[in-house]
Amino acid sequence: MKNIAMKMARVEKDFSQEALAQQVGVTRQTIGMIEAGKFNPSLRLCLDICHALGKTLNDLFWEEETV
Amino acid sequence: MKRFKNHLDERQEQELLKIEHNGAWGAFIGLLAAIFIQGIMGAPFSQIAGEWIVFMAVCIYMVIACARHGIWDRYLQPKASHNLLASMVGGVIVFAFNTAVIWRYWDGAFEPSLLLIPLMSGFFVFVLCFVLTSLTSAYVKKRAKKLEADAEDEDA
Repeated sequence: MKNIAMKMARVEKDFSQEALAQQVGVTRQTIGMIEAGKFNPSLRLCLDICHALGKTLNDLFWEEETV
Repeated sequence: MKRFKNHLDERQEQELLKIEHNGAWGAFIGLLAAIFIQGIMGAPFSQIAGEWIVFMAVCIYMVIACARHGIWDRYLQPKASHNLLASMVGGVIVFAFNTAVIWRYWDGAFEPSLLLIPLMSGFFVFVLCFVLTSLTSAYVKKRAKKLEADAEDEDA
């Protein structure tokens, strides 16, 4: 599932994928794949992204259960 | 000891592990195929000793490493029915291999008694595999329980 919340938060902060990638120490492709829902990051990387974007895990990575 | 700096991020690391996994299995199966084909072609053991030693070393490493971590297999479980199935596959492969060797080198007319050697060797490999998988699976189950208990202790 696409991570729209993360993309929105990045755009709000006026970060490019490249800038966010540099800040958290990964490649731009990795950020792109997280936003596209094609890669599940570790909790460590989720926390780094949250810190970089000034958001909480809930804001960026929580998904409501779909039954 | 000074280590090399890892320049990969976690996604690249996972992809590299997948690539290495595929490469390692490719080499493993290729080595086994090379041993089988050379064996069927009648190569003496001295010629295939190198491949055989590497293959056995890899097998022993994998069995010991998995057993120490309480891991059996992705698809098979450490239980008698699965051990029986895996051992039967081993026995059938040895039967097929020895039948192929006899079929290639026997000049005379075919006699059913010729199949005795492949049948016996296949049967003994089946028994040996079943005994070894039973012993190993019992150890793996015990080890997995111990690791589980240790994790509970750390939690307490």
